[in-house]
Amino acid sequence: MAFPERNNEGFLNNPWQWSEPVATEIAAESGIELTDNHWEIIQLLRDFYKQHEISPPSNRLFVKAVKELLGEEKGNSIYLMQLFPGTPAKTACRIAGLPRPTNCL
Amino acid sequence: MNDDSSADTVLIVIDRPPYGDWHGREALDMALSLAAFDRPVAVLFRGEGVHWLRPGQNASVIDQKTVSRNLSAATLFGVEALYADRSTLARFQIGETEPDVTPIVVDPDFYHRFKKVVQL
Amino acid sequence: MNDTAMPALHLLNKAPSHPRFQACLAAMDPADQLLLLENAVIALVDKTASLPAGTRALASDCEARGLSDKVAASALTDMADMVELTDQFTKIISW
Repeated sequence: MAFPERNNEGFLNNPWQWSEPVATEIAAESGIELTDNHWEIIQLLRDFYKQHEISPPSNRLFVKAVKELLGEEKGNSIYLMQLFPGTPAKTACRIAGLPRPTNCL
Repeated sequence: MNDDSSADTVLIVIDRPPYGDWHGREALDMALSLAAFDRPVAVLFRGEGVHWLRPGQNASVIDQKTVSRNLSAATLFGVEALYADRSTLARFQIGETEPDVTPIVVDPDFYHRFKKVVQL
Repeated sequence: MNDTAMPALHLLNKAPSHPRFQACLAAMDPADQLLLLENAVIALVDKTASLPAGTRALASDCEARGLSDKVAASALTDMADMVELTDQFTKIISW
């Protein structure tokens, strides 16, 4: 199967074409090797998108959602920054196949 | 909610129906932005805005995202509460317990409790 | 035939609160046909709206807003019906 189409920032055009091998490949582009801790957040984002049809709109709201769902230990920007360097919401959404967060520069 | 906390809370009022224009979306964006910075914020749906809450929406047929699903993320992001005006729910024949996103149903003069009220 | 006697198809896409919604209803002759589009379809469940008999509404706009099962099936118009409808009228007014 061909790799799903992506936009110029590397986000999937269609979130439903996402698969785990796709995630692994997108992560590798940023030099990230996915661990269980990554997959936990990726799965959270996939579930979030299925339910709400949006990406967390900003990095702050991404951190808030993780905190709400997994607790403070994981819902903090340092933890998420370590897993998903750069702007964590953008990096994590890209790997999880979600649209680009609307309010992330 | 007691009177002290509602005094600080910004009440965003959505009185336009979803999908036709961007006013409601911008109002929701504003609510989420305030929540992102831990400012107390709540959203009131009244007038034609109660259509945001109607169950059974499927906006994929007009190539849009279903707003009631987007809305259900609001409290997760820290929006204090979603309110719906009782009289306009009745006007548009939406049962008070019907919405997927269960709002707190309030009377038309409810917004007087807030010192900061924003309508876009 | 003069213009005023010719039945018209009115395409209305404004919500009931929009001034043009009432303007459209006021402009309608008994022989005219009303087709509701986009936000205008919420008028179908508005207890304060009184719509002319035979009013139709675009099915996809009703489905998007969760109104499909609140509206009589005979009033729902799909895209093909809409094209046919616009062929039947030489006079079409978009509000």
